[in-house]
Amino acid sequence: MNTQNPQDGQSTSAATIHLTEVDGIPTLFAYAPGPLRAGLVFRVGTADETLARAGVTHLVEHLALYRHGLADYHYNGATKAAFTHFHVEGAEHEIVDYLHGVCGSLADLPMERLETEKEILRTEESRRDPGQLPLWRYGAQGYGLVSYPEWGVRNLRPEDVRHWTGTWFTGGNAVLWIAGERFPAGLALKLPPGARRPLPAVTSALPTTPAHFADGQGGVLLDAVVTDTTAARLYAGVLERELSRALRQEDGNSYTAATDYTSRRDGHALLTAFADSLPAKQDAVLGGFVDVLAALQAGRIAQADLEAVRTRADAGLTAADAAVRRLPGAAEDLLAGRPPRGLDELRHELWSVTPGQLHAVALEAAGTALLQVPSGHSASWAGYAEAPVRSTYAVTGRRFEAVAKDGSALVVGDDGVSVTVRGRDGGDLAVTVPYRSCAAVLSWPDGGRRLIGTDGLAVAVEPGLYGVDAHTMAVLDAAVPPHARVQLPPRQSAPRAEAPAAAPAAESGGAASPARRTGGQTAALVVLFLLGGLFAFIALATTVFGHDPDSSTGEWLGLSGFLWAVTGLIVWPAVRILRRTRRA
Amino acid sequence: MSQASPSIRRMSSAPGADPGPDFELASAFPEVTWLRRAAAAADWAGIRQYHDSLPPGTDRAFVVGVLAEDDGFEHALRRQLAAVPNDVLALTVLGTRLIEAGWEIRTGARAKNVSREQFKAFHEHLREAEQLLIRATALDPSYDAAWAARLNTARGLSLGQNESRRRYNRLARYHPHHFTGQARLLQKLCPKWGGTWEEAHGFARECLLTSPDGALNGGLVAEAHIEHWLDLGADDKRTEYLRQPHVHAELVEAAQRSVFHPQFARPYGWVTVQGSFAALFSLIGDTAQAAAHFRALGNLASDYPWSYLGKPAEQYVQHRDTALRGRR
Repeated sequence: MNTQNPQDGQSTSAATIHLTEVDGIPTLFAYAPGPLRAGLVFRVGTADETLARAGVTHLVEHLALYRHGLADYHYNGATKAAFTHFHVEGAEHEIVDYLHGVCGSLADLPMERLETEKEILRTEESRRDPGQLPLWRYGAQGYGLVSYPEWGVRNLRPEDVRHWTGTWFTGGNAVLWIAGERFPAGLALKLPPGARRPLPAVTSALPTTPAHFADGQGGVLLDAVVTDTTAARLYAGVLERELSRALRQEDGNSYTAATDYTSRRDGHALLTAFADSLPAKQDAVLGGFVDVLAALQAGRIAQADLEAVRTRADAGLTAADAAVRRLPGAAEDLLAGRPPRGLDELRHELWSVTPGQLHAVALEAAGTALLQVPSGHSASWAGYAEAPVRSTYAVTGRRFEAVAKDGSALVVGDDGVSVTVRGRDGGDLAVTVPYRSCAAVLSWPDGGRRLIGTDGLAVAVEPGLYGVDAHTMAVLDAAVPPHARVQLPPRQSAPRAEAPAAAPAAESGGAASPARRTGGQTAALVVLFLLGGLFAFIALATTVFGHDPDSSTGEWLGLSGFLWAVTGLIVWPAVRILRRTRRA
Repeated sequence: MSQASPSIRRMSSAPGADPGPDFELASAFPEVTWLRRAAAAADWAGIRQYHDSLPPGTDRAFVVGVLAEDDGFEHALRRQLAAVPNDVLALTVLGTRLIEAGWEIRTGARAKNVSREQFKAFHEHLREAEQLLIRATALDPSYDAAWAARLNTARGLSLGQNESRRRYNRLARYHPHHFTGQARLLQKLCPKWGGTWEEAHGFARECLLTSPDGALNGGLVAEAHIEHWLDLGADDKRTEYLRQPHVHAELVEAAQRSVFHPQFARPYGWVTVQGSFAALFSLIGDTAQAAAHFRALGNLASDYPWSYLGKPAEQYVQHRDTALRGRR
């Protein structure tokens, strides 16, 4: 509805994106006041990796920036699913220095930093929380890899990293963008030659959509694949308003409701929505969430909501820094073969969007939706199919009954491995990983293995739990594809037969993905670490200051030792939880 | 042991004793006969006209319940929805019909006495119903009958106390004194569906205190006490419960504010409410109060609450005769 169409001749030159070239690399330039900003973008990301090599792009990004460690201008790097960004802001010579430096580093990575940067990535990883939706939607491959730990990093050799860099971080696979008052002089981009890479293949681990799975305690999450349009972008804004209104203002069961819209640059975009929940109100948050979506699918889209979102979007397009904000996305588009679009065109599209178009987006999103509901809940009642948590078949081969006699069994066949459990209806339920579609095999020195299929389902092969002989383990190791192997350091404790709780998630038929940490375990972690920290402090204080002249050294040593022992006893279970689970 | 069926309380004619209690719904509400005929004839235009011209404040869940009584209407409803997918009334009647059919399969027995196959079919019916009803409330969030039906699906699908509360609150935004909606939430708040007596009695009292003079809502106080009484099982415990002075006082107050209020106008559901008061006062031994309620009933009856006491017709007659004799 063209209620107002402010093609009012604002200075569009400020927001015009010019396409040029630097050393054969396509370059987008836009006039912008203030400091110069630039970004070098490559068509490579996590989705181009494999699970067993996950993290290699991120590692290259870190290595490429190492030599800038002490520069005092503002710079950054970001590894996304399909794109890697090197971003900088500063004076003209700083920009030029930075870009020269990045290109130089990519041509000759500081391999002496390799092991240190691997450690840094591990630290960063503990702070990263991309969520489980990609894994369930795409599997343990392509766009699903962002859900997984960067398991590949540990075993990367310098030649692996060089090969990756030479394949992906090339001049042919890069686009530069610059925003500033003028184009910087003396800019040169010396990158190795290479071809433009197509976008990652879009895989699917969902036989039907809409689908759902239950995990975590954080609230309700949704993602949906929609055609990448201005209407879809606005729909995300309207959905956020409706979720906030219903769940927060009216029901009072959520504090935060938010949506996000990320173009995949292949003509589609990923729409995500989230609503948190008071722990006791999860059922009502889920119900309210379903009803908000249903209302939009029924076409109840308030014109006022559309106008509010549209006005905000238009302000974003016409703001002083609009071009700067658009450039990174335009660079991604260009790498994906989509030329930059003019501001007038975008604004015209924006002001032409009707509630009817938003309704169409709502219906499209409904058809592709994947819903994450809190553990212990389901969304099948609302028409969301259960996402697969088990395989459709089990391999035939040597069968090893669980030592704990819990009815589960491990089957090692010629083509793959299965874990089977007796279902409630008497039939066998199986999780199977065929060798030919094995995304990764995690190997521990104690003999434990975890095979993860490209569909995201996983089988834990614990010789101790199933009494598997050494010969069979050797056969299995030989059968998995070499490129899927991931050597991990020793575990704190290998699962043992006398601890049946550690057997594969049989009850739920689960075992998809790494054992996800439960809410209770997370709470236990927090409590244990807090207590542990307190005792560690007391112990430390006693050790350092507790040796007063009035008591004997023996007493002091005894007391210190005792306090340290208590600290250890408190922290130990937390470490065990931490080792055995990953963040939900 | 039985649990209230989600449907409107089905009345069946009880031949025999003269003057036998009349369980026929149409005896209390003659329009029921017309509605049943219209449903049987799939007179969709007539039904819609009737439904849409009901005065504001009418408990339309009752009308929808009558239309959903019989499975013969299902085919016509599906045909209607194929032609007009956004027909809120058709969505709601079909949803309600599926709930009814599902509950017929499940039966009113306690969960431990329901087979796996029964539960499976029950849940399948309820899931299909729920999805139709989600669309109905999405299209028209002010439609009381659809929300009232979704209180039943929430209960049958074990969706949780907060979700039932949320659905009730959504209903109450437009219909703050919806008797059927309140009665269904009350069921969910009872311990047998995961609630507590504190919540159940608290909600019933809240409904009473906020209701307009002479409205039916006070009947929920009686329903909460009947549910509580039934749940206690042993005769001595039940008697002890009803002999508490506060129970009697609450019932007297609730009856005065509702069925005995001068403005009481016998809306849909009144036979059940008046019967509940009659049964409770009779069980307490206050024959004077019980007699007043029986006289108001004439010989009209509904399965609830009498099925909780035994064979409905026998129990009705026995308690009525005792009450009326006591007055003589």
